Amino acid sequence: MRLALALCLLTTAACYGDETTTNRRTLIDSRDNYDPRSLDPALSTDVPTGRAVGYVFDGLTRFSPAAEVEPGLAVRWEVTQDGLTYAFHLRRHVRFHDGTPFGARDVVHSWERALDPTSKSSASEFLYPIKGAREFHGGKATAIAGLAVRDDSTIVVTLEQPLAAFTKLLAMPVAAIVPQRITPNFGERPVGTGPWRLIDWRHDDYLLFARNDQYFLGAAKAESLQARIIAEPSTSVAEFESGNVDVLQIPAGQTREWEEDESRRPLLSSTPALELVYVGINTTRGPLRDPRVRQAINYAVDITTIIDRLVSGRGTRAAGVIPPALAGYDSTRRGYPYDTTKARQLLAAAGYPNGIDVELWCSMTPIYVRIAETIQAYLNAVGIRTKVVQRESAASRAAARKGETDMILKDWYADYPDAENFLFPLLYSGNKGSGGNVSFYANARFDSTVMAARRELDERKRVALLRGADSIAFADAPMMFLYFYNELYAVQPWVKGFRPPVIFNGQRWLDVTMSNRAPGDSTLAPRTTSSTATPH
Amino acid sequence: MAFLLRRLLLAVPTLFGVLVVAFMLLYIAPGDPVQAMIGEHADEETIARLRAQLHLDDPLPQRFGHYVASVARGDLGRSYVTNRPITQDIRERFPKTLQLAGAAMLLAAVVGITLGVFSARAPGGLVDRLSLGIAYLGISFPVYWVGLLLILLFAVTLRVLPPSGYGRLRFLVLPALALGMRSIAFLARMTRSAMLESLGADYVRTARAKGLAERVVTLKHALRNALIPIITVLGLDFGAYLTGSILTETVFSWPGIGRYVVNAIGRRDLPAIQGTVLFLSAVFVLVNLITDLAYAKADPRVSYH
Repeated sequence: MRLALALCLLTTAACYGDETTTNRRTLIDSRDNYDPRSLDPALSTDVPTGRAVGYVFDGLTRFSPAAEVEPGLAVRWEVTQDGLTYAFHLRRHVRFHDGTPFGARDVVHSWERALDPTSKSSASEFLYPIKGAREFHGGKATAIAGLAVRDDSTIVVTLEQPLAAFTKLLAMPVAAIVPQRITPNFGERPVGTGPWRLIDWRHDDYLLFARNDQYFLGAAKAESLQARIIAEPSTSVAEFESGNVDVLQIPAGQTREWEEDESRRPLLSSTPALELVYVGINTTRGPLRDPRVRQAINYAVDITTIIDRLVSGRGTRAAGVIPPALAGYDSTRRGYPYDTTKARQLLAAAGYPNGIDVELWCSMTPIYVRIAETIQAYLNAVGIRTKVVQRESAASRAAARKGETDMILKDWYADYPDAENFLFPLLYSGNKGSGGNVSFYANARFDSTVMAARRELDERKRVALLRGADSIAFADAPMMFLYFYNELYAVQPWVKGFRPPVIFNGQRWLDVTMSNRAPGDSTLAPRTTSSTATPH
Repeated sequence: MAFLLRRLLLAVPTLFGVLVVAFMLLYIAPGDPVQAMIGEHADEETIARLRAQLHLDDPLPQRFGHYVASVARGDLGRSYVTNRPITQDIRERFPKTLQLAGAAMLLAAVVGITLGVFSARAPGGLVDRLSLGIAYLGISFPVYWVGLLLILLFAVTLRVLPPSGYGRLRFLVLPALALGMRSIAFLARMTRSAMLESLGADYVRTARAKGLAERVVTLKHALRNALIPIITVLGLDFGAYLTGSILTETVFSWPGIGRYVVNAIGRRDLPAIQGTVLFLSAVFVLVNLITDLAYAKADPRVSYH
């Protein structure tokens, strides 16, 4: 494998020309590595699906590449003083791809559909903040109490409790607006209001989208967009180097080769991903109940070296759970330094001068296995005798949720770009176990601070609360804080206007253009011909 | 004819056995389909609701009974994950796998048998040594690695073929070569030794003594008699390619059945796994049957009753 990459470098460095134009007219993305589940927003739980739903559909709000909330189908909104009621003013004269006009009723219908008790949706809980949504989903109500259509272009939403991040939830794929007439194979032939219409979907091969010329924010600049599904990262790299795809996510293992290559470095752009890699420490098991033991675990491991050696520097050291890209991140807080003496002292102080025995669980993902084994070696060195247990990811997750693991190495991706989407699921006491808090962490002061932050509408105060909560958890060490992953993209020189998104559905290719060759020699590239013009 | 009928009837209990084993294995294997489906999120309530909807809480015999009944009606169910009918998914992907496996086998048969025949004609000669080299490489290089090397050479460096994807002949060349490499190697060696044996046989000497042209002696007398082991290799490899050229399909982004089943396993998509395993077992049984029939065709001494 390593040799293959080296060969790849040698051969490509030699032939990587200075091409700055292409003869393709279709933008081609290579980021999906498996087939989307369905393009039905109600079924959207995975990244390829969420991305494609973002092309075909709109929510009331949407995310910019930098993960800020922007108006979508709602032009503006007002919130009452108590933070409970939102009035959304909807965009007029918007039509679905099939020509049906969009109106307030479609919003109600879409959310009722996502919360339909008979649907197989598992993302619907993101709509639970709406009053009556949970009852409706449980089949205990015939309508969602918190939704009221004031007129055709105004919808009033009442929440169960104030929730400052509510407008962010509405930019999630599951809250996207669908027309009221749903065809039986809607997941295959979706109809939305979005900037792109799906025109062909070859499973495990590609999805092809054509521009929606009537898009309300202005039509996309490119004519068509193809999302190729490429399972093997090395293959995506080869496709990129052959000029067949426009955007590439650099596999972690190839980071240094790209960064150190003069000809390829200019193509790179990095963006912090909303992904935390951490070791959840179950705070209810044996010696791990003592915060000093958990702190010792943090002191015992040289995390900076792990980031540098095992993930090619593609991580920002974590000192808390809020990633650098989000409000609430505290750049002044430093992670636990690597200090084995301190680790031993803390262990002794906690009453374990002879060390302890723990299990560290992880999934079979090769990179996590390597990290787990490295952590094991560091912990063993200070007397925390660690056994690594590898299980397939669904199995290890299930065990952690049942509280059967001492420690588990895992990651957490944000569903929506807000600090509370880290603090609340990972550490709030009400989310112990299946809610995501596999540390089984419970701290009343942390809980009340997080809850206050969730309700606080004043952004400045809210950020202070989020930061405060993060700091409380950091001191209690309910986890080993490892790193926030950094995404690294390569973009072809002929592509202009592509900003790497912080959140997966934050880039909808509206402003992305390609510099094409002169019309005289614009023969279509082979790949485009065979995939778009010829039926297989 | 009676033989054919008997074999087809025998396939039914075989496939039923496969069904039982696949069902039980997935039942024992760790990992819960609902957990895999929802990923990180969802509360107990949602999990319980989904389990009930998928009938995961029903007693095992009842679930198995339901499944067998619907399979008997030709319905493999719908995917837990995508909600698409499994039969439709298989119908979309299997022809692509067939195409790839067919191309690989064709390539392997032509190249492998030719190399084997020429090697046997002049053991120790240039062709023989070359073919030995190819055989070593073909057997010892993993398909994954060969695939990446082929992409680097023909797609990235020389830019004469596309690196990956599904399409017309151009897209088929590299994956077929990567997949067929092992068979080329096996066939070349197998053909060589079988040919050496038959070239030394009495009937070959007789044929030569009759004054037949060497070409006729080689092809009609020696090769015909060397066919049995060749057919065995072809049959086994073809069966294997049809049922799981997973690595090749992954490296070359070929949208075939191998990738489909691997994805399904990763997501604990039980109906998709069971349906595909059942279908592929049927394919394997069929390929074996065809191989057996080919024996009889190649060697008149073989006959089935």
